[in-house]
Amino acid sequence: MAKKGERGRCATGIEGLDNILGGGIPVSNIVLVAGTCGTGKTTLGFEFLVRGVMAGEPGLLITTAEGPDKLLSNIPRFIFFHDSMLTKGKVSIVTLKEITDSAGLSGSDLDEAAIKKVIAAISKLIAAHKVKRLVIDTIDTLLTEIKDDALDALLLAELSVVLHKNECTALLTSSAEKCDRIEGRMADGIIMMGNLERKGDLLRTMQLVKMKGTGHSRSKYVIDLTDAGVLVTPLFKGGL
Amino acid sequence: MSEGLHILVATKLEEIGPSTSVAFEIKIDSYFDVVRGIIDEFAAKKDLACVYVTASVPASTLSAALSTLEVSVSDLSFVDCISHTLMAAGERSKSTVFVESPTMLENIILKVEYFARVKEGKRLLVVLDSVNSFALHNDIKMLTEFLTILTNSLKSKEAYPVLLAIPEQMKPEIKEVMAMVSDVIIPLS
Repeated sequence: MAKKGERGRCATGIEGLDNILGGGIPVSNIVLVAGTCGTGKTTLGFEFLVRGVMAGEPGLLITTAEGPDKLLSNIPRFIFFHDSMLTKGKVSIVTLKEITDSAGLSGSDLDEAAIKKVIAAISKLIAAHKVKRLVIDTIDTLLTEIKDDALDALLLAELSVVLHKNECTALLTSSAEKCDRIEGRMADGIIMMGNLERKGDLLRTMQLVKMKGTGHSRSKYVIDLTDAGVLVTPLFKGGL
Repeated sequence: MSEGLHILVATKLEEIGPSTSVAFEIKIDSYFDVVRGIIDEFAAKKDLACVYVTASVPASTLSAALSTLEVSVSDLSFVDCISHTLMAAGERSKSTVFVESPTMLENIILKVEYFARVKEGKRLLVVLDSVNSFALHNDIKMLTEFLTILTNSLKSKEAYPVLLAIPEQMKPEIKEVMAMVSDVIIPLS
């Protein structure tokens, strides 16, 4: 439980990440999980949701680039995941198209009014399912439908308000290799996922670049994506 | 073959107990007696989850050899760090996971952690075979960091970290590293 004046934590349930964070992500933070393809962003996001269910926190996954079946087939089948988590609605998976359809939008570029409708549709889902954990995989698809940086900022600001109101914590995945774009500047936290080549070996890495509301490690870690979850260990310094 | 060596190995491990890193200095001709002592006489009888990290011999070869010696491998899990290097990696199974190279030391730590999670509820015994083989593939700083983190992490889990080493084939600086990371060194000559 958070002390007076201290923000509550959303323990991700990913043991190594929670250690890096000193207990978890401050509740309601928007965290950008950025990195190139194959670095484990979707797997990390899905484990965040599944661990949430195990802790009694319903989750919502908005998939913007691929259908739910394909998304699930591309990540490890966690030994602690049960199909009933999906069928009983503990983790809801919706596509961006379902959201835009429910908001009465066609597939064209998103203007200010359309962005507000998208956020209202997401807000409705969060409230209906009492969602405490949200993952948008990937935010890039949504932002490419917005042609104006100011409107990108509006989307993220409106989302932040909704999350704060519902005490919901969000991970937004992005294939950005740097965090200098609008989503990086506006996010409360940034987790950089990457590949490190060392003497011909390719290691998957994770580094927490920023997290508002908590002290945290800024070291680079090596990760493994397994059916027992995302495993994390410090990168050995002797090799650099 | 040394008569009764496997019993001696098991007795030593029983006396020492968990959360203590033990290095066995072995001779090459007593290798299978020592392994039998660790796996059959000690780990199996104490119902430990035994994880065998090999950078010396592929898991499939070792598993076949142990089966021939009537050592039960059914509860044994392998982290095989050498098969890929030899272009001989077999299929991943529930009991064997592969690390592409013995230089991917962080991944070895993660694979041991993987088995610790999968075998949750059972106390772990982790055999590292061998300090010599890892020293062949890694520089001393990396090796020191790896052995320190692996043994300390296992000790904090109240596991049994066991290192195998062949002292005749070790450089003095590797012996120093082994002395640093081992709480107990047992020469088996």
